[in-house]
Order: sequence, then C-alpha cells, then structure tokens
Amino acid sequence: MAVQNQEQKFFEIIKPGTNYEFIGRSKYWIGLSVVLTAITIVMLFLNAYVIKSRGHWLNWGVDFRGGSEILIEFSRAVDVSDVRKALAESGFHDADVVKYEEPTGQKKWNYLVRVGAVSVVSEQQAKQIRESLAKIGDASLKRFEWSEGGDKIYLRYDRTVEPSVLGNSLKAIGVNTTQVQAFGRPDEHTYEVTLVGLDTEIRRSLDQRLGAGAVSAIPKVESVGAKAGNQLKADGAKSLLYAILLIMVYVAFRFDLRYGPGTVIALLHDAVITIGAFAVTYKEFSLTTVAAVLTIIGFSMNDTIVVFDRIRENAARLRDRRFDRVVNQSINKTLSRTILTSATVFFVTLAMNLLGVGVIRDFAFAMNVGVIVGTYSSIFIASPVLIWLNDKYAATQRKQQNRQARRPQRDEGEPEGV
Amino acid sequence: MERAWWWKAALYGFVTVVAVLYLVPTLVPEEKQPSFIKSHFQKRIQLGLDLQGGLHLVYEVNVDKAVSDKVDRLSSDIEDRLRRDKAVTELNVTREGRDDIILTFKNPADAAKVDEALLKEYRNSLDLVDRNPATGVVRLRLDPDQVEEVRDYALRQGIETIRGRVDKLGVAEPIIIKKGSDIIVELPGLKPSDFERIKSIIGRTAQLEFKIVDDGSEYMKKAAGAVPKRDPKATLQPTDVDVGTEAWNEEDSGKSHEDVYLRSKSREAIEKFFAGLTGELALPSDHEIGYEEMQGRGEDGEQTPDRYWRTYYLHRRAALTGEYLSNADQTWDQNTGRPEVSFEFDRQGAAISERMTGDNIGRKMAILLDEKITSAPVIKSRIGARGRITLGSFGDPFQLQQEAKDLVAVLRSGALPAPLRKTFETQVGPTMGRDSIEKAKLSMYIGAAAVILFMLIYYRVSGLIAVIAMLLNMLYMLAILAGFEASLTLPGIAGLVLTVGMAVDANIIIYERIREELRLGKSVRTAVDAGFARAFWTVFDAHVTNFVAGVVLYSYGSGPIRGFAVTLLVGIITNLFTSYWLSHWMFDAVVGRRGVAKATLSI
Repeated sequence: MAVQNQEQKFFEIIKPGTNYEFIGRSKYWIGLSVVLTAITIVMLFLNAYVIKSRGHWLNWGVDFRGGSEILIEFSRAVDVSDVRKALAESGFHDADVVKYEEPTGQKKWNYLVRVGAVSVVSEQQAKQIRESLAKIGDASLKRFEWSEGGDKIYLRYDRTVEPSVLGNSLKAIGVNTTQVQAFGRPDEHTYEVTLVGLDTEIRRSLDQRLGAGAVSAIPKVESVGAKAGNQLKADGAKSLLYAILLIMVYVAFRFDLRYGPGTVIALLHDAVITIGAFAVTYKEFSLTTVAAVLTIIGFSMNDTIVVFDRIRENAARLRDRRFDRVVNQSINKTLSRTILTSATVFFVTLAMNLLGVGVIRDFAFAMNVGVIVGTYSSIFIASPVLIWLNDKYAATQRKQQNRQARRPQRDEGEPEGV
Repeated sequence: MERAWWWKAALYGFVTVVAVLYLVPTLVPEEKQPSFIKSHFQKRIQLGLDLQGGLHLVYEVNVDKAVSDKVDRLSSDIEDRLRRDKAVTELNVTREGRDDIILTFKNPADAAKVDEALLKEYRNSLDLVDRNPATGVVRLRLDPDQVEEVRDYALRQGIETIRGRVDKLGVAEPIIIKKGSDIIVELPGLKPSDFERIKSIIGRTAQLEFKIVDDGSEYMKKAAGAVPKRDPKATLQPTDVDVGTEAWNEEDSGKSHEDVYLRSKSREAIEKFFAGLTGELALPSDHEIGYEEMQGRGEDGEQTPDRYWRTYYLHRRAALTGEYLSNADQTWDQNTGRPEVSFEFDRQGAAISERMTGDNIGRKMAILLDEKITSAPVIKSRIGARGRITLGSFGDPFQLQQEAKDLVAVLRSGALPAPLRKTFETQVGPTMGRDSIEKAKLSMYIGAAAVILFMLIYYRVSGLIAVIAMLLNMLYMLAILAGFEASLTLPGIAGLVLTVGMAVDANIIIYERIREELRLGKSVRTAVDAGFARAFWTVFDAHVTNFVAGVVLYSYGSGPIRGFAVTLLVGIITNLFTSYWLSHWMFDAVVGRRGVAKATLSI
C-alpha cells in the first residue's frame, strides 16, 4: 500500500501496454463466424428434413409447438417403455416420454410426457362420440361441433335431452366430462359438454394400467393450443426484431451512422449462433430461450458499446493514426474489462446451468453460449465492420473533396499520413 | 469530508432505511413485525406461480362460434319470414363462410321480396351484399360491427364472470386481466386436487336467462318461518340469515304484491339453509332460489358500502334466454329523464316474451347471468318485441347510468354467448415450486459468492466497495419489487442474478478506467474522479441497451417472462444508481478530501 503512485501494482490479467493484433487477423475470425453461421443453417435444415428423430427446425417447447407437457411422478420404479405402452393403449399414440432428471440426483421416478393434444378427445374419438350419441332416446343429433384442441363439444338435438343423460352416455363410451349444460335457446336443444382435463385423464389411465396409486403426483402441466403456439412464435420473432431496431436507433443517436451496422451485425450474429447451439444440441427452445436470446442481445450490445465508446474517444484523440490501428488499440485497452466481465457472467450463469432447474437451466445454457459469442463478436465482427464502413466513408469524402477542390489545391484534403 | 458528501450520506442513508422497511413484511413473519410496520408497510413480494404453485390459464373468446350461431339464427329467422309473410314457397337458404347467408329463390322475381322494409328490420345485424334479379340469388352478410361488438362484450363479460366465479371459490389474490383479446387468469397457491374443478367452473359458458319471480308464495313464508329467530337489534353477522319483506303496487290495476325473502352477507349461508330444509319444507322441484347481490342502503336511500345477498323464489323453467335478444341500449326515460335500458327481442323471442310477460304483469322478472340475478324489474305491461327496464327511482343519476350501462353489457353479451376457449395452461404443484426455490436459491448464492470473492481478490478495498454497492443494489431492487407487489418467478430469480453480473460489469469498467488514469501518473483523487467521469457514458449506454431489451421483453412476454423483465428493468435502474453514484460516494470517503487525499489506492 505504501507504494508510490507511478509504480502502484495491480492484480492484472492483461498487462498494460499489451497490444495483441486483433484486426489484422480478423479475416480468419470472420471466416470462423461464417462457418458457424453456415453450420447453424445446415443444422436447422437437417433437423427439419433429414434427422428423423428430430423432425423440427428446433426442439420447440410446448409453448411454441402446441400440445401438452405433463410431469408425472410415480410412486415406484416404472420403465419408460411401460409408461409409453400404457399411454398408447389409452389412445395417446404420439406420446413422447422421457425420464426427467433432477441435477441433485434425488431418487424419484419422474417422467416428462409430451403429447400433441391439448384435450382428451382425438379426432378419431370425436367421430366415435358422434356416432354413439347420434340417438339419445327419441332425440337425434343434428349437429356436432368439436374443434381440435378444444376442451368442449357442442351437441345439438332435435328435441330436449336431459344433460345428465348425455353425461352418462358419454361416460359409457369412456369419455369423462366435468360438466354438461344446456346452451343457447331452449328451442335449439344445444348442449355444451366440458371434457375432463388431459392430466386427469392421463393420470386415470396410467393408474388403471400400471396399478392403482402408480402415479403419486402430477407436479406440473403445461398445455398450449396450436393457435396460441403460433401466436407466441410470431410474437417471439417480432420481439427480437423490435429489440434490434430499438437498439439500432439508440446507437445511431448516441454514436453516428457508421457505428450502427457493426453493432447490429454483431447482434444478429450472436442471436443466430445461440440459436445454432440449440439446433445442434436439440435442447428445448421455449419462451424462456427467447428471453435468454433477448438478454444476450442486450449483453452483446453492452459489450460492443464499451469497445466502440473507447474507439470513438481514441479516434477523436488520435486523429493522425490509421483508423484500424486506433480500433486495435481500443480493443486492447478494453480487453481486461471484456475478459473480466465476460468471465464473471459466464461463471455465474454456469453455476445456474449446473445447479438450476427447469427454466433457469435452459436460460443459463443460452446465456453461456451467448456470453462467449457476444464477447467474440464485438471484437471480431463489430469492429471490422466499423473499420470497413469508416474506410468507405473516408473514401467517399475524399472523392467529394477532390471533386469540389480545384486542381492546384488537390493535396490539401489528405488527412492521413502513415 | 466535504459538505456535499454528508448531504449524500444523509440521502443514501434515508433510501436504505426506507428500503429495509419495505422489505420487512416480506422477510419477517407476520407475528414478529412491529406494529408500525403492519400499519404502514404491508406490501410484499409475492411468489410467482412457478414458485408457489397454482394455475395459469389463458382463455380466448370463441367469437367464431358466437357469430356463427348468430348467423344461423338470423338465417332461419329470415327464411321463416319470407315463407310465412311473403309467401315465398321455393327458397333455398345456405350459409357461406362464417358471416354470409345466401338466399336462392327458385322464382328469380321473388328476390325483390327481400325489400327495404324487410332489411330495415335487420338493419343492426345484416347487410345486403348482392341481389341478382336474373338468377334470384341474394347474399346477406353479418354486419362487421357485430363481430367486434361480440368480441368486446364477450371479453368484458368473460372477465366479469370469471371474477365472480373465482371470488366465490375464495382463491386468495387472484389475477384476472385482459391482454389483447385474451383473458389471463392466475390463481396462486391452490391444491392440485382442486385444479380440475376450478378449471371446469371457470371455463363454463355464462348463460343469460329470464325467469319469473313467484312472489307471495306460501313456500317462502314457510321457509322464512324456519329461519332461526334472532335479535332484530343485533348487527347482522356474516353468516346470519335474516328475513326481509317487500311490497309494491301494480301501476295500472293498483293490485298490491307482497313478497318474503331471505338475506345474508354470505350467499353460502342461505344456500346451506335451503339445503338443510327437508320434507314439507324442501324446495319444490319446479322452483329454484335466485340470488342477487344488493348494495346496502341507509334509511335516507343513500348507498352504504356494505353488500348483501337476497333471494328470489323463481319458476325453474327459463323459456326466454339471452339468445332471443337482438339489441340492448342505454336510453333515457322521456318523462323523468332518468337512465333506463331498452332492449329488443327477435321474432321468436317476442312471441315467447309476449306470452310470458302477459301472464305475469305486476310480477318481477329476474334476469340471471351465470346463476346470479343481475336485475329483477317489475313487469309493468306486456312486453313484445321491445321493452324497457327502469332502474330504481332513487339514488345518484350517475350511479344509475353506470348501472344501466352494466346491464346493457350483460344483455348484449348474453345475446351472443361466446364460449371461452382455453389456449394456454400451466399448472404447477406446490412441491415443484418448493424444490425450484431451493435450487434457485442455491445457484444464486454460489453465483453471488463467486462474484464477491473475485471482486475482493482482484480489486481489494475497491472490490469491497463494489461488493457493498452490489448488496445495496440487491436490497433496493427487492424493496422496489415489494413496493410494486411484484411476483418473483423463476426467471425473475435469473434476472436478479444477471443484475449481479451487470453490477460487476459497471464496476469493472470504472475500475479499469481508474487504473489507467493511475498508470498515467495522476494522483489518486484525480484518477478516481477522471475514471468515474470517463466511464459514465459507457456505463450509461450499457444500461440503456439492456433496458431496451428489457422493455421489449416486458411488452411481449407473459407470465414468468414478465417477471424476468420486471426484475431486469428494476435492476438496471437501481444498478446505475448504486454502481455509479453510490460507489463514487464511497470512493470519496476512502480517498479523502482534496487536500488530504491518500497517495495510494487499493484497486
């Protein structure tokens, strides 16, 4: 502590005066990014069209895909294949069953079941219901309305039917309802049937086939109608777009136009490669992932801005230096901050990734990838783009000056001397 | 220290004390809280659904079904008119799409029978799109305003209905809000065994029915006699059931009516009372009890804040339902200038209403929505196609107008009941939530501990300043969240952790700058000031960009994601404050005054 100012020692990871060459080698780094982007695009296509076990661009979570995701806790050891078989026998043929593992390794028999349906009645069953309800006593069915994914059925008869009779007839063919009520005008004899929830039905059928009490709890259910899923997808894409636009406006306002494209290309780069990581690992891509991508955009921006701020400052100070040298120096100046910040955020999110559960885990994984590419992109993507634009700008300015200037004064406008 | 420093000290101290006070209700069990906390600071951070368990439901109003039903009715209505009144015999009526009705006349000349007079009757609902005299094809289309109106009223009514049902279920702190054309329902802290029942209760389509009140019945007198006697002077306890009487005269004949009813602050109490009646006192099967929630009125007729439920003895059969209504509006009584509600039935409805009201002049007609009476006006004369409902003759006219508008909303939405369609559902059991909290907490502690350790090792005393600033940031953040009564969700915790990351970043930017200044040989005091000054815009820009991402996230996200956005946004603001100004102030204390500034800085 008693050291003189000038010789004060700091705990440093990057020694002052360090001058790594970043810009000169940027073409290799850009090449790497192009490769990664290409891998992302190829992987998306492979997922969608080639790899049979995948079959979607990304492993969309229920919130985007539509359908239901049910976490089932069994009271004893049950085999995955048994669960699958029991579900198929109960009419859930598309059920996707995976063991749900908790990072702490608690001894539990948890399975995550995913089905495409949101309601207990499939198209096929709907037809069956329609046939068996065609006649109730004297009344005959005039209209049958059931929308896929709907939890309700509307039945119209030509005369009055007791709702309780309808409920019993449905029960007789194995369709459980929570309620049947008259709907609309009395002279239209229409009835609204509310079906039981999917989770209730699944629990019932599993208990029936695997022995009573097999299911000890259903800790979590998530179900999304197909329409809502598409809506969420559109909203997600829109939000990414808005975030990028708004940030671009801010950068244009704070810096100048030359700085805008570099930041935005870096952002897109980060978003694409993060999505690529999800395409390769086929980890679930859900609403939370979109939130993570938005956060990454914020972080990547943050990173780029710190570097750009320094570039702007130095560019104003060191007018006589070549712009790419200024950029390289600025990157070096901010390097220790870049590494420290990225490393801390990386390790914090890594802890969340390793210890967290559910959403936190997905979120942290995205952040881990994003922090790496975000840091990398501000140095190797945003800065070269800035230099390139600056050169273009300088070149057009020179041309204009040349055109305006008379021949004798031609040399005056040369700002740079290397 | 300089005077400004002390002023800042006072300010920061005050902010910190307030923040701590705001957090007391959240952190300290209720029985241990001091009384002034209980009276002034009762807002707390709620746990989100994913942490405490519960139901998150999103319903969409099935406008298509309502509209399609409406067009169905209009088409059969118009077919009926043409066949009966206009003597058209050979006519084919078909539907196209959701909104179109196509009338095909075998004799093309008949197409002219769809004339102005007929169309005028349907002016509110149908538009003439095309009439081809050569082929005899007429195309009518549902007025587009109707579709929007259905959506609006159905949405509003849906929210009201759900709120009513949820209130009846007694769920603590429910959230029922409209988002676009969706209704979002959040019910925290429920038992998983209740999920199914609650979902079915909420998702049911509300029905609007008109039923005649059987006043002056022997049954109600007998039932009232069975009500336990109570001291009339004692105040009505929440579960007490009381007997009330009312009387009115018929306007034309002057015949008087008298009715006995039961009232109580709790509807369940009355329901329980009737359920307990057996044998001779059991409710006749052709009757039912209707309930209306009343605003208490003092002796001067002015409203009092207390509300109670009263009964009506109704004929069970509902011959008239909301679907027969074709229009309802809030109008003004031409004689008294008071607000009233006028309504119109369609042809079939008018016929039923004429019969029903004609037989019951002088009695009351109860308007029921979702098993609750919204209004029970006295039938003054036979009502055909058109009727008017006069609201009470006393009370504040503005209040009355509001009541009239509410009734119009009930009637209009009842006219086209649009079923709710569930589009999104998350249910989380309480154990799931508990496990999540534990793990989220653990990851948060480990993350924070790692960061603190790193800062202390790397920046030493200055690192300690950063850590204090970071902890204060956490305190302010949580206090603000408590002030908003925000919900803490799992992604919200992720947001908290990220804020820690941002706090660290801001400090690193500033500290690296100070080091650079020191390396240039500047004195500690100047280096600190220059470092902070030069880092300001960088730190500010970094916060703004994150803020932008947070705002987008907030406006787009739903449920848990919103929780993340809220913590992020709050964190960004408090972080700018703590990691810039507050830590600058702490540096001032460490570095000292200009004259006696230290020669070295542990950074």
